[in-house]
Amino acid sequence: MEKIVIVGGGAGGLILANSLDPKKFDITVIDKSPITIFQPAYLYIAFKGAHANITKPIRSILKKGRKFIEEEVIKIDLEERKVYTKNNSYSYDKLVIATGTITDTSKMKGLKEINDQFGDYHTNIENAQKVWKSLNNFKGGSLIIGMSSPICKCPPSPLEGAFLAEEFINKKGLKNKSKITFFTPYPRAYPSEPINEVIEPLLKSRNINIMTFFDLDYIDTEKKTIYSIEGDEISYDLPIIIPPCVGVNIEYNPSNVLDEDRFIKADKYTMQINGFDDAYAIGDATNIATAKSGVTAHLEAKVLANRLNGIDDKFNGRTNCPFDVGYGKGTFVIGSYTQPVVKYPPTRIKHMMKKVMQLIYWQSLKGTFDFAFDIFFKMTDPEKLNKKYK
Amino acid sequence: MGKRIVVDARGSSCPGPIVELSKAYRNAAVGDVIELWATDPGVKADTQAWAEKTKNKIESIKEDQDKIIIVIDIENR
Repeated sequence: MEKIVIVGGGAGGLILANSLDPKKFDITVIDKSPITIFQPAYLYIAFKGAHANITKPIRSILKKGRKFIEEEVIKIDLEERKVYTKNNSYSYDKLVIATGTITDTSKMKGLKEINDQFGDYHTNIENAQKVWKSLNNFKGGSLIIGMSSPICKCPPSPLEGAFLAEEFINKKGLKNKSKITFFTPYPRAYPSEPINEVIEPLLKSRNINIMTFFDLDYIDTEKKTIYSIEGDEISYDLPIIIPPCVGVNIEYNPSNVLDEDRFIKADKYTMQINGFDDAYAIGDATNIATAKSGVTAHLEAKVLANRLNGIDDKFNGRTNCPFDVGYGKGTFVIGSYTQPVVKYPPTRIKHMMKKVMQLIYWQSLKGTFDFAFDIFFKMTDPEKLNKKYK
Repeated sequence: MGKRIVVDARGSSCPGPIVELSKAYRNAAVGDVIELWATDPGVKADTQAWAEKTKNKIESIKEDQDKIIIVIDIENR
């Protein structure tokens, strides 16, 4: 029986493990943590003070016949076909790396200090709770929301934070005493033009100041000022800055399968790791030029399950990133390798769909709603939508 | 005479070549030349706006068969 080792128990790893037939494959998931986290909820912990239970034991999500090993992987030798943990090594016939990303506050001076003090909503539950506390302590002044380059996962989330922060401040009656600024290294608020045409007018209508071409260089915590490499500066009272994300700290042989930010170089259609026909990478862990989001991990896992079953399926780069624009409305960033992002207007229903996703998330990892996802992805095919929304 | 830095951002459209350019600019010095390769047609307008913003000079924009090549003189860093 073919031995498949999946490193990582997030959305991608678990969906793949549950999509493969245990009668056909010997399936093992390895993760250093016994729990899996619904990461999109960090946003709602940070800006709405949500208390939802956003973790589940990995064992409770894995269906029957799949093994789980709770150990920290420290080295992966692709030449020897071995995965090393602190005390053991595991050989494989096929390897899938689904290790996600971590944030790195060491890349810019001052970022660690403000992250320790004010939190962020990409790292973990504690940091998201810190944002909520910081927001509640805010009495007015300059509130900054921004993202650092080069890689930020979930492209809409920096702006979602700006929209939700504005909603919070407005409802608290602090709008007149505050200035909200969103900064981004991109040429426009949202990098992709069609959705930017929807988003930018909304930001303006809510008096959220936009600073484009602002690529965070360093932060002077004494002067309470953020500087960009383009030469601009902004002073802050409350800075909520998303640190850059990088690949996790696992040693690889050969080391050149990693790019300079530790993402794994993989083929954008087959997810095969460059130079190896028995190793794959899915989800946030790859350097594939698509959105780092749960939907991408989900779709890549499904394509890879087909490929491991001998079907010549290819990932088409489809994105479907939910985008909360505040006040109970939302949209999605939908595109693919061949279709530009749809100019998709925000509505209440789209926001509700994001909420429904949270409710069905754990079941969706088990494949319970695969039929509904198939219908949804067909209905929201970017080619079809691009004809409707021009 | 500074160094010539080639930034290959072919195939990248979202988030796009500007982030790749900015990454190179972070480590560049006055006198360096950045040669940006891209396939996304939006790169021309975006790089012009970027150069204006950062007060750097676009030396040339050329298109060959499979890519757009933008050469930028780093005059300000």
